[in-house]
Amino acid sequence: MLPPLRPLPIKERLSMAFLEKGELDVIDGAFVLVDVNGVRTQIPVGGVACLMLEPGTRVSHAAVVLAARVRCLLVWVGEAGVRLYSAGRPGGARSDRLLYQAQLALDEEARQRVVEKMYEVRFDGEVPAGYSVNQLRGMEGARVRRTYENLARRHGVRWKGRQYDAKAWGSGDVPNRCLSAATACLYGICEAAVLAAGYSPAIGFIHTGKPLSFVYDIADLFKFETVVPAAFKIAGRHPLDPERAVRLACRDAFRSTRLLDRIIPTIDEVLDAGGLEMPAPPEGSLAPAIPEEDKWGP
Amino acid sequence: MGSLTVVAVENVPPRLRGRLALWLVEVRAGVYVGTYSVRVREMIWDQVLAGMEDGNAVMIWQARNDAGYDFVTAGTNRRIPKEMDGVTFVSFLPEVEADDAQS
Repeated sequence: MLPPLRPLPIKERLSMAFLEKGELDVIDGAFVLVDVNGVRTQIPVGGVACLMLEPGTRVSHAAVVLAARVRCLLVWVGEAGVRLYSAGRPGGARSDRLLYQAQLALDEEARQRVVEKMYEVRFDGEVPAGYSVNQLRGMEGARVRRTYENLARRHGVRWKGRQYDAKAWGSGDVPNRCLSAATACLYGICEAAVLAAGYSPAIGFIHTGKPLSFVYDIADLFKFETVVPAAFKIAGRHPLDPERAVRLACRDAFRSTRLLDRIIPTIDEVLDAGGLEMPAPPEGSLAPAIPEEDKWGP
Repeated sequence: MGSLTVVAVENVPPRLRGRLALWLVEVRAGVYVGTYSVRVREMIWDQVLAGMEDGNAVMIWQARNDAGYDFVTAGTNRRIPKEMDGVTFVSFLPEVEADDAQS
């Protein structure tokens, strides 16, 4: 008998893989993409943080079970790899982490401290003391616009501001489409990391009210050092296949910034700034009668 | 600076296997391992290409990319590299097609 499967830590994994046209199935215990001609391609699913499934893929029951067991996030994507839907790991898999995150979000002072810390990370440690969240948001907005303009100038891109219509994909200009494709890559990885760490993607601090609010909060901490420069660099080259070029550039950016090593420690760092203790199990509560076999690896 | 390099050969003449054993350790039949620079790795691969005849070979080495490794193949094999947006997996061709290709 083979020993039981143990999920690998996120930082040990390949950031992402995009799969198109074929059926995902399990053959001899391996996760396999089978195309119309019967050509099989094994995907080392346990060593990938998130799999992006493009239009033209079909997924079997057994394949989803295996992806879930090795904690690989499956993300169904549409044109240019923009996220539609995801599955593979439940959110808030660790109740202590989920309660901690919720407690931070509910405590007004703690929430403010987490928001400040998030802006501090985004500003590289220069947050003016005594600024309100709205003032910080205004500062960040201005800085983001400046960053876009500077990058556009550096790469010779015509930039008319961030505009996109999620319902009419072709309507956006090339730089905006490159940015959408690039941020979709980052969101996939950040979602995988948030879930792996046992937090809820929905409970955000700067962003609120969306199913992925916390994912956007975390992705924004890394966006301007990774995917945004990559998107402008590609847009400036006018490639024939911008989506593919953006994915290659994002992969390089993720590797060179050691993104997968850093996401979960950064999540812990910003939440830690809230200054609350991780809640202890209440007195008299029952430990699980049947312990979980496989630990949730971050 | 060398990086870990693995060569696997199938159906190659014994003289190539002996040649590879000059620089690499044969840990299993046809599987060789060593740590070498880019220059030496390319020299070894040239030896494989020159000496493999009807056989086939693959060479894998540590690389500074997302996967952490890269590889090249030579000769006919049912397993062929498949690049997918910057990461290379391997496709396994069905038997019938391989037979068609040979006939």
